[in-house]
Amino acid sequence: MATISLSEPDAARAVPPTARAVRLPTQWLGVAPFFLFAILFLIAPTAYLILGAFQTPNGAFTLNNLAELWQPTIRAAYWISIKVSFASAVIGALIGLAIAIAIVRGGLPRWVRSATMTFSGVASNFAGVPLAFAFLATLGRLGLVTIILRDIFGFNLYSTGFNILSFSGLTLTYLYFQIPLMVVIITPAIDGLKKEWGEAAATLGATQWQYWRMVVIPVLWPSFLGTVILLFANAFGAIATAYALTGSSLNIVPILLYAQIRGDVLHNPHLGYAIAFGMIFITGMANVFYIWFRTRSERWLK
Amino acid sequence: MTETYLSIQGVKKSFGPTTVVRDFSLDVGRGEFISFLGPSGCGKTTMLRMVAGFEEPSEGRIVVGGKDVTHLKPNQRKIGMVFQAYALFPNLTVAQNIAFGLRVAGMPKAESAQRVQDMLKLISLPQLGDRYPYQLSGGQQQRVALARALAPKPRLLLLDEPLSALDAKVRVSLREEIRSIQKELGITTIFVTHDQEEALSISDRIVVMNNGRADQAGTPFEIYNRPSTRFVANFVGTLNVLEARVLDAQAGSVDVAGQVLALDRDLAPKRKGDMISLALRPEAVSLGRAGARTGALAATIADVHFLGSVIRVRTKIGDSTVSLDTFNDPTMPPPVSGTPAELAFAPRDLMVLAD
Amino acid sequence: MKAGKFWAWLTFGLGAAYFIIPLLATMEFAMRMRRGTYSFDAFAVVFGDPRFQQTFGYSVVAAFFTILLGVLIVVPTAYWIRLRMPHIRPVIEFITLLPLVIPAIVIVFGYIRMYGSNSPLPFLGSARGTDALLVIGYAILALPYMYRAVDTGLRTIDVRTLTEAAQILGAGWGTIIMRLILPNVLIAVLSGAFLTFAIVIGEFTVASLLNRPAFGPYLQNIGANRAYEPAALAVITFVVTWGCMSVIQMLARFAPKSANRPD
Repeated sequence: MATISLSEPDAARAVPPTARAVRLPTQWLGVAPFFLFAILFLIAPTAYLILGAFQTPNGAFTLNNLAELWQPTIRAAYWISIKVSFASAVIGALIGLAIAIAIVRGGLPRWVRSATMTFSGVASNFAGVPLAFAFLATLGRLGLVTIILRDIFGFNLYSTGFNILSFSGLTLTYLYFQIPLMVVIITPAIDGLKKEWGEAAATLGATQWQYWRMVVIPVLWPSFLGTVILLFANAFGAIATAYALTGSSLNIVPILLYAQIRGDVLHNPHLGYAIAFGMIFITGMANVFYIWFRTRSERWLK
Repeated sequence: MTETYLSIQGVKKSFGPTTVVRDFSLDVGRGEFISFLGPSGCGKTTMLRMVAGFEEPSEGRIVVGGKDVTHLKPNQRKIGMVFQAYALFPNLTVAQNIAFGLRVAGMPKAESAQRVQDMLKLISLPQLGDRYPYQLSGGQQQRVALARALAPKPRLLLLDEPLSALDAKVRVSLREEIRSIQKELGITTIFVTHDQEEALSISDRIVVMNNGRADQAGTPFEIYNRPSTRFVANFVGTLNVLEARVLDAQAGSVDVAGQVLALDRDLAPKRKGDMISLALRPEAVSLGRAGARTGALAATIADVHFLGSVIRVRTKIGDSTVSLDTFNDPTMPPPVSGTPAELAFAPRDLMVLAD
Repeated sequence: MKAGKFWAWLTFGLGAAYFIIPLLATMEFAMRMRRGTYSFDAFAVVFGDPRFQQTFGYSVVAAFFTILLGVLIVVPTAYWIRLRMPHIRPVIEFITLLPLVIPAIVIVFGYIRMYGSNSPLPFLGSARGTDALLVIGYAILALPYMYRAVDTGLRTIDVRTLTEAAQILGAGWGTIIMRLILPNVLIAVLSGAFLTFAIVIGEFTVASLLNRPAFGPYLQNIGANRAYEPAALAVITFVVTWGCMSVIQMLARFAPKSANRPD
């Protein structure tokens, strides 16, 4: 360090004029690796699939691939995926919100909050294959909860039509990472609710409910909706948990696409592109809706 | 004072083992502007929050307009409150913020719109009704907060350090505006502040609080000129304190750093040899010949600060420092530090501080 | 007030039950391997399985290279954006958030079609190349988290002033990045690194579709063929995740607190 600062003053003095002369290119040079990386490995592969969705195997433009998405199996897969993602996102968001409010505003001891936040950090990343194992060990036919319900309470869970390998089972499993993710994201937003707002509302004569309806809910709404969209995308693209839980027996889009990539089960490579396009389209539309909503109705946001 | 409107009777507040307000009693007349003045942690905000209903007193009663409100919830008290951090609702426009209390009370739309317009005019921001809080400056936000608090015609206005977050200049203009609006509406007001200048300039009466207790309550004039405790004397205004030894209690003769000084009062129950603290406001001291004034002490000029219209001079008497202010006189050169000087004052301006 | 506290406890209690019961059940299930008594046999079998050691080792190495790649891409970029090009920040932020919107399976599908052995960039033509592509894919998946962590770290130090101070003292860019910026955002980088590790270690989709012998596909394979070992593996993975998060929490305590220019 010392040698550098002693030996280079002349060089340092000489640099600024040159740097100014070629400022524009050098400036962009600094971010070139990032853009190269993002284009090669994120944008181009995605664009390739999107383009492929509109092409025949010969490269001609077609809408047939998209039309073929309408066949019953694929349509059903999309429908189940949307249902599971939507249900797990909305339920996860509501429960996560309730937990976040409880730990921030509920007057609970401090350790409850820090424990919940730490655990949420872990659980929101505990997805994929191991999560499926955990739920099989809990609610599978030989799972602990199933057995306790049967042996101690005389309640046969599986006779009610419940199945861990079903829509409700998958939703329940997804909630294990959706709820904590909501808690992690929404807690700062709830911290942002100032105590004085509630006090000001109270002095103005508002009841607790009026304060919630007129201030808290409108203020939290954008963060809430944004997180719901994120949770939706999170569940919509998830495959590992469902695959480990159900094998390929549950017909959801990512599993269908997985099978298509591995073995062209649909006998049309470009139909695979169309499925991928459909997935991007749905998560993308969710985000577009969110951005539109924010810019339109939330003028008070800076 | 007019009839009592707000009466705080023997209020005490403890959080667990710590008592933050003790034995606080105060009667406030209708339309009076009262300041709670004190350093942070003195209990002034807690007292205000008990009047607002956010805290329940451990002991004592709070009566507003003849009605005991001690255990009433804040939203049933019909009070207006302004907070230090503005606390405007960020999702509502200025007009919607002001209309909040009216909407909650179920006032018809047209009537409420009219009232909002009146309030906007009152705070001189008639064009800003459609703005959102983040588009306003701090001073404007606080004026909106004031309008919001006043819109439902509250029985009491509570101001919790409303000027602390603002720039010095805005602070002065807004406090004058608050005072004139308060006078115009004749609303009984409690103003919490730690800034003595603020309290002195706008209050009808000031309650100086220290350590959970009301040390003194009185008009700004009384508080400044006749502080009843050492704490009040120190906290309000600048004060020179001289330690003195009593020579003759009855005759009021004391020794200040080797110089004999005659006070025009009986110092009993102090006795010969006791130490007492004497206090002098800077403006009560002048440099040079004693003239008609009888008190005089020899001192040395320590340093001189030229402040424009006023020159603040610090002098040394033994180990004690005495500051004094003289007006700038273009024909007279300012005093030079290191030179001897004579301090002159009227003995009745010397305050003997209780401990 | 009292009622509010009751509801808060109830909400917390129900939530805690939902999250803790599966963990207990998994542990219990894993210990059921020996008939009639609880034992750690399943764990012993798992740890003794050479494929467990190989795949876990492979994933650890992959995670290491992912972190390295992520740091090399993200730190200079985030730094440069803060220093010289704050106006294109929204663009960078948008790109870094894309992996949260585009499912991993779609991205890897794109790789398979674009980087086959006959393409100009034949990553998939060799095993090493496929390994590289796996690491690249992981770096993309971790991009949102890594960028967020580093950017937050940079926000707490005054990048511009620090850089100018170093330049006045005659430091070159290499010195500035290596000796000034990196040490100051080290905590943030490490947080991002451990988060990346937690995401990558059990990742299934990319590894499986690229046919790499990683831990995720191994987990899936065991799950499909064994009874008790999967539960043991779930417990092990949970402990690894927990470890990563605890390290992040600990690191947060050492993060520089000086926010002299909060923006």
